[in-house]
Amino acid sequence: METAIAPGEEDRILRTWTPLILRSVLIVSSIVMVGGIARALAFAPGFYVRRFHAIQHGQLHVRESLLQLADEMRHGDPHGIMTIGLYLLTLVPLVRVAFTFVLFLRERDLVYVIATAYVLVALILGVMLGRVG
Amino acid sequence: MISILAGLLALSIGAGLVGALSGLGGGVFIVPGLVILAHIPMHIAIGASLISVVATSAGASVAFVRDGWTNLRVAIILECATVTGAVSGAYMAGLISPPVLEMLFALMMLQSAWFALKSQGEVFLPQSDELCTRLRLGGEMPGDDGAMRPYGVINLPGGACLMVVAGLMSGLLGIGAGAVKVTAMDYLMKLPLKVSSATSNFMIGVTAGAGALVFLSRGDVAASVAAPVALGVTAGALVGGRVLPRVNTDALRKLFVVILVLIAVEMGWRAWSRI
Repeated sequence: METAIAPGEEDRILRTWTPLILRSVLIVSSIVMVGGIARALAFAPGFYVRRFHAIQHGQLHVRESLLQLADEMRHGDPHGIMTIGLYLLTLVPLVRVAFTFVLFLRERDLVYVIATAYVLVALILGVMLGRVG
Repeated sequence: MISILAGLLALSIGAGLVGALSGLGGGVFIVPGLVILAHIPMHIAIGASLISVVATSAGASVAFVRDGWTNLRVAIILECATVTGAVSGAYMAGLISPPVLEMLFALMMLQSAWFALKSQGEVFLPQSDELCTRLRLGGEMPGDDGAMRPYGVINLPGGACLMVVAGLMSGLLGIGAGAVKVTAMDYLMKLPLKVSSATSNFMIGVTAGAGALVFLSRGDVAASVAAPVALGVTAGALVGGRVLPRVNTDALRKLFVVILVLIAVEMGWRAWSRI
């Protein structure tokens, strides 16, 4: 079978790019989370404490859409910034699997295309299940 | 606010450090830490732990992937099984009451303690079986002389079944379930131990990520807790990884196993009194 990438080349590409992807998303999400915490410390320490106590008493259960969170982040709300940072962090594996999917698609390696597509679909299904659960 | 943040950071740095030094992962220590010491509800503690497991896996697996220890093809195939288990487990966690989850967590801690004490032998298969050969799952790992040494892989169906269990435990209890993953690859699929550990570390991120997405979208991840915990556990795990080559891991592991059993008893007793 003719492949778009030389045999064995995909391993080299994965070993070069995967660490880069993992590290980049990890650093970006950490910066966003540190930013959110720093903003809470500087501008809304009382709000953070009230939120923490509400969590301890099981009184805080907020299900927000990404649009709401983006809006909160735009207004500099520490909670919105921290939550976006957490979402970014969970993107680490998603981005890595998506990259592998594209690589095997270019290579036309059907078994691995199906395997990575299955993982991607399961991750997206997880978000949908959480919404209804 | 500073005292709450300092407490959460100290707890999570400690959990990350102990998790790295014991080889059990931060999740096993951060969940009981949050529940018993910080009085955080079980579901929120699991959500925070899953996020921190994603972060530590991403940080720890970089070097293993770069140096050729991780078997990426084995990871991709087995991730289908772990993700299925993780999404199911995370969904089920939303339906189970906190005391039952705490009891399950206590039982899992006892199982982790047993895994930590079990001696692991090194195996090295020269050839893969038919299915694994067709999927090109065999690989190469760096040998003592620096040259790459080929190894084979067998029993993919058996390994995949145990991976569903590992995923289920991860999504349900907020842990990486690395011990079960390593057992599946090392004991059932006969991968070399260091390759199994590196591949498990790599897969833990996707497994925990699948569970974390369910918890996040359900509203069971509280940013005020999860953000400092994720940063703290990652920092602790990074420090632990650097200290690890310079300490007597056997003695430390035995000490941590005793601590683990004590925490499991405390958690189990708490849960039993409320069931």
